[in-house]
Amino acid sequence: MRITPGRKITNILGAELNKLVTLPSIWLTISGTFILNLALAAAFTSIGQQGAAGSQSILDIGLATMGYLQAGFILLGILAACSEYTGGQIRSTLTVMPWRGLQLSAKLAALATITVTAALIIAASGVLYTLFMMRDTAAGAGIEIDTMLKALAGATGYLTLTALLSAAIGSLLRRTTPALVILLGYYFVISPVSGDALPGYFPDKAGSYMYMLSSADKSDVLTPMQGTGIVMLWTLLCITAAIVLYRKRDA
Amino acid sequence: MLTINNLVKRRGAQEILSGISFTARPGRVTGFLGPNGAGKSSTLRILLGLDRATSGSALIDGKPFAELLNPLTTVGAALDGSGAHRMRTGRAHLRWLARAAGLSRSRVEEVLDITGLTNAAGRRVGSYSLGMGRRLGMAAALLGDPEILILDEPVNGLDPEGIRWIRTLLRERAASGNTVLLSSHLMGELSETVDDVVIIHHGKVVANGTLAEVIGNHSTLEKAFFALTSERAGEMV
Repeated sequence: MRITPGRKITNILGAELNKLVTLPSIWLTISGTFILNLALAAAFTSIGQQGAAGSQSILDIGLATMGYLQAGFILLGILAACSEYTGGQIRSTLTVMPWRGLQLSAKLAALATITVTAALIIAASGVLYTLFMMRDTAAGAGIEIDTMLKALAGATGYLTLTALLSAAIGSLLRRTTPALVILLGYYFVISPVSGDALPGYFPDKAGSYMYMLSSADKSDVLTPMQGTGIVMLWTLLCITAAIVLYRKRDA
Repeated sequence: MLTINNLVKRRGAQEILSGISFTARPGRVTGFLGPNGAGKSSTLRILLGLDRATSGSALIDGKPFAELLNPLTTVGAALDGSGAHRMRTGRAHLRWLARAAGLSRSRVEEVLDITGLTNAAGRRVGSYSLGMGRRLGMAAALLGDPEILILDEPVNGLDPEGIRWIRTLLRERAASGNTVLLSSHLMGELSETVDDVVIIHHGKVVANGTLAEVIGNHSTLEKAFFALTSERAGEMV
């Protein structure tokens, strides 16, 4: 029985996708993120309604949850990578798919497929909720569909890249807790506390320009495309490091 | 055919394997024996491409594991534990393995039946007993109906019925021309199952031959084993 290279890649991708969708923690993370995001969007919307509604755009309010939302996608990436090291599953993986670079790339591709869908639904649900609740206000009148789609595409891209970057870090560290401590520590403690002391090309800062379109009139900011490029570079860098080490070290 | 040639593995300053050489031939069950920590698992892990050898080679039909075209249908492996994530069901575990090798889902049901796990297949692996976990590991090893079986302590955690099942299964596989390599530290179980014996101690092969050759003048395999491994321990003191 000879397997063609194309067939082999489809098999590996199928297996990696299969692994992710049969893991309950992946679904718990996605549904938990969806619910928490809607709750936060509701809270931000109600604050927006009480304040001077005209001064804030619906997109800003609808995407105000992004800072918290990314925690769910960081967890998603870490779970996808570190679940291999539970119950010795990595041995099963490598005895069926000993092509390590290909297998890890396929895992990341499978993760990206799930993340793009989940991120789009979750980000859009927040924005649509805000739009629906504030449709009669001054801000609601001026919303352009085009701008909204751009911001949603940016948010989806950012969350997907963040999940991939987290999966790469998870694969490097192999264990869920240290990966979670390091990534959440950076995104939620180090980065906010150090403020402008950290350069703008760090992944979370550069990434914010992927979906925060309304601040584009300031002088020191990046365009959405520049932001995307920088986050992509960070992600590729981490993925490369993960693959190089994965190929080298004992499983 | 499994060919292990002058295998050396160092981890830091510690030498785990110091030049292991032996072969496991088709049509025979080869028992790989040694006390805990002798280097049995390390050898098997290198053979399966999980760990890298410091020097030497471990080949499957003349090739390193990673160069096999269809690993699952060539080698079935079961190392300690189930090799499955505890939150997945047994069936879901076997299904992704089958998917990776391009095998059908009906084959998954077949191996569940062979290993007696059909009724437990819908339960999470975390709820399995030790013996059920081992059976799941065996189901994964048999999934591709491979020519070669590599099993680390296959009878560990099995009840007497399970042990007899494994023994019959391995004899049948060898009788139909397959290669079977199993590691164990349980001499009694092994002497009734194996044709050839390799004994390792402190990362070195101390005996290698047919069961009769290795037993030699000793009355049982167990006595031969202790004679071979404790002499060396005596040297250390």
